[in-house]
Amino acid sequence: MLGKNKRSITAFSLGLILAMAMYLVPGMTSDAIAKEAFAEQVFAEEAFAKEVLAEEEAAEGEGESEVEWSQDVFYKDWEGNPLKGPVSGFPAPELDESDYNNYEFAPSRMLLWVANQQHLYFGSFVLAVPIFCMLIEFIGIRSKEEDPVMSAKYDRLAHDLMKVSLTAYSWTAILGGVLLFTFITLFPGFFKYMAGIFRPVMHVYALMFLAESGVLYVYYYGWDKMSSDPFLKWVHCSLSVLLNLIGTILMYLANSWATFMQAPGGIDSEGRFLGNIWHVIHSTLWNPVGVHRILGNIVFGGGIVGAYAAYHYLTAKTEEERAHYDWVCYVAMFIAIFGLIPLPFAGYWLMKEVYAFRQQMGITLMGGIMAWLFIIQAVMIGLLFFGANSYLHNGMARVKGSHRYMKYCKYMILLLICCFTMWMTPHTIVMTPAELKAMGGAQHPVVGHFGVMSAKNTAVNLMITTTILCFLLYQKANKKITVPWATVGNCWIAAIFVGAALNIIFLGVYGYFLPANQRVGLSVPQVTTTLTTLFAGTAINISMFKDSESYGDIQWGTQSKVGTYAIFLLAISFTWLMGLMGYIRSAVRLFWHVTEVVRDNSVDAYTLTIGEAGKMLTFNTLFVWVQFVVVFWVGSLTGKKAVAKAPEGVPVPAQQQ
Amino acid sequence: MNKSLVSFLVFVVGLAVFHNAIFPIFTPKEVGWVLNRYVYFLLFVAYVIITNLILRLKPPIAMNALFVWSLGFYFYKFVLYPPIPWTLFITYMVMWSIGTFLYVSQDPETFREFRKPIVKTIVGEYKFAQIIMLIAMPILVGFATYNSIYPSYQEPVELRTVHPAPPATTKVHGKTYPLESTNNPFRVDEQDNYKDSFPFLDADKTEYMKYVTEGGTIFFQNCHYCHGDQLNGLGMFSHVFNPTPANFIDPGTIAMLQEAFIFWRVAKGGPGLPNESTPWSSAMPPWEEHLKTDEIWKVILFEYWYTGWHPRTFGTEGSEG
Repeated sequence: MLGKNKRSITAFSLGLILAMAMYLVPGMTSDAIAKEAFAEQVFAEEAFAKEVLAEEEAAEGEGESEVEWSQDVFYKDWEGNPLKGPVSGFPAPELDESDYNNYEFAPSRMLLWVANQQHLYFGSFVLAVPIFCMLIEFIGIRSKEEDPVMSAKYDRLAHDLMKVSLTAYSWTAILGGVLLFTFITLFPGFFKYMAGIFRPVMHVYALMFLAESGVLYVYYYGWDKMSSDPFLKWVHCSLSVLLNLIGTILMYLANSWATFMQAPGGIDSEGRFLGNIWHVIHSTLWNPVGVHRILGNIVFGGGIVGAYAAYHYLTAKTEEERAHYDWVCYVAMFIAIFGLIPLPFAGYWLMKEVYAFRQQMGITLMGGIMAWLFIIQAVMIGLLFFGANSYLHNGMARVKGSHRYMKYCKYMILLLICCFTMWMTPHTIVMTPAELKAMGGAQHPVVGHFGVMSAKNTAVNLMITTTILCFLLYQKANKKITVPWATVGNCWIAAIFVGAALNIIFLGVYGYFLPANQRVGLSVPQVTTTLTTLFAGTAINISMFKDSESYGDIQWGTQSKVGTYAIFLLAISFTWLMGLMGYIRSAVRLFWHVTEVVRDNSVDAYTLTIGEAGKMLTFNTLFVWVQFVVVFWVGSLTGKKAVAKAPEGVPVPAQQQ
Repeated sequence: MNKSLVSFLVFVVGLAVFHNAIFPIFTPKEVGWVLNRYVYFLLFVAYVIITNLILRLKPPIAMNALFVWSLGFYFYKFVLYPPIPWTLFITYMVMWSIGTFLYVSQDPETFREFRKPIVKTIVGEYKFAQIIMLIAMPILVGFATYNSIYPSYQEPVELRTVHPAPPATTKVHGKTYPLESTNNPFRVDEQDNYKDSFPFLDADKTEYMKYVTEGGTIFFQNCHYCHGDQLNGLGMFSHVFNPTPANFIDPGTIAMLQEAFIFWRVAKGGPGLPNESTPWSSAMPPWEEHLKTDEIWKVILFEYWYTGWHPRTFGTEGSEG
């Protein structure tokens, strides 16, 4: 499906699943692993503490102890008592006016917001592209023997993407510098405290950046040289794995600063560092934020590459060019949708951890002052699903044999719309007093039931399941299945999807009859059901393609304009949504720099109105897209370089002959 | 006769007949199990589909889109009851319009077909349609302008946070309660365990029922005037308040809140709300000035007992027993 060869589909899908597993499994299983490690660590720490206390007691007669012990604000021992650690830092400062600087033209907080958001956008892009390149290059190598033309195409695409990423990488570093200076100059008091706590992490971060740069340059500039030999090509591909590993570590290190600010650990109530840097890094939100960001990066990167290809597709002059960019659009969308499907689940995990950390923070987000922003988020997520499905429907039309499945599109749209209606019905409806009277109360007796989580979970799981179904139909659109168990296989797929829909609906309805704490637990089987359709459905679908006949190749270059514009919608929505969720996550700290430890005493410590926040988000979105256009333009300059021809009669140096 | 015109007439005339003749039959005051307005709507949809199939009308995609969009409009405007607020109506119609667009643009073929009459109208091939459009558009714009500038005396809508984040602690009758860890003292057993297991209502427990009864007495002496004798927020005074009193039967109120949250709300009332919840518009008195601490807890116990909801908890103890 990704090209002429069906093996490439299998390889690509498996590659994506493996890549997902590589990133997600450590995150998902980290709770269990972390608990075990934590147990050992606590045991060792307690033993150490006893030893120190014994020494202190022994030394009592000799004078006062120099080691002061204090209680951690987050970590607890096995009996539920706060963990103790030796005080190893200074208390959090009480910031006053002298700790903040500002310019006349804009509030410091807005400037920091812009600097931070732009750096994050670019950081996200440059972390996502190597993941794509790793996968695409791998597919290219694997398919080289069977389809050298397609293999070369994959290789070229990976190389082109890396070229753009290289420019974006420098840009990201510059924006990182801008962000750092903004922190130091505008929030010196706060930054001093953070630097005191994270001093070693910041140095490791800088060193990792060096390593990332080194591997990146070897990876990019060694591309052609290492392509000649198959062994070297594998080494080259392995470099991309290394690049991604370093990139992920970099991101996780930087995440630790943000997650510490939101849900601190490893310090006492006065903000004093308790000597264990791992506790500070590995605060409670570290893992969910990390997984959420990896998936978000993949979706965001896919959106940007898709939009870049869509632009070239619409402006292409030749058929060949159109076909190429249509195919690139498809690869980018494939990756983006693959990241989009599990993204809401990672979001749920994050929110669960936020609630577990501070219920107050969770309520502020979901029911309190940030709740209206979550309604906007619901709209944006709905748009993403509409855009993705619209692209798939339109894309299906250019596949020969798709007429067999196109007739189901309208029913899938109907289901999506009904689910989306349920998904975005607010619990508290904005209304005039007259409307309130006409309705007979604050809750509508029919649609009021859609305002709670049982309905929302049901709706979003059904939307995802529908998108998965649409994708499976796309996969098999041009295939004439020939395996003897085709009917059984189709029945299995149908049974999986119908069973999944019934189970999701049943669990959703059942949730209304359960206490809230048990109702929350129902989201787990709902999510499992949805993921089952994804993995089992894809596995059965791909297995059925064995020895299948083709109704014809995909007619690359014939994608409709509506489908292409859907990619722009997706890309812009991703960007805006990423900014929105980043703002919500950050703004939920309200008037704290570090929750309950360092108070924000600046004049900017207020929550923006929804309109003001919206303006800032739109500005950030437009600003970053202007920069992306510039970066892509700069990246394209090398491609346009004409091969210099020596004028006639001028001797050509030997090495050019 | 032109098949498209027949299809259009089938829809319009059918709608007129259904709405004026059949709809009243399906809309008695009490919504019945079978003859209700939603069954009526499904019947109308079935009528449109079946008539078009039997007569083999095959309306063009643009007309199909018109039917689909109109059905959505008809449902949200006239069928769904009680009428939904304007903001929700607009939201739903935007959703439905996007859905209609996705339907017509699902493949290039249908989209081309959909655009054809529009393009032909614009370029003047459909002269009559163009004239109608040129007359109708200014009238519609004028009407919309008139409607938007016509003075309205309704109080403006307000974005209000119904369940604000509670403070970390609250002080009632001189004692400070940390809200995350405070439990209803009448739901704690001899071993100091919080009893919220499912089902947690043990009617044989006379002591428990004694507290519930006491809570009920306090509720009917003080709260039911606004919150209603069925706890549905429709008490005798409720209709004069905006926002209306909380409806405890609704799954989105006490069912998803901790008892400590309710305790804070009852004790501090409207004046104790944070700004995002517009304390100035709530009529709820701070009950700490009228009730004792134990009485507040008992009322809360009664509210959960009566509605059958379970207080929100965040620990694992809920799965016990």
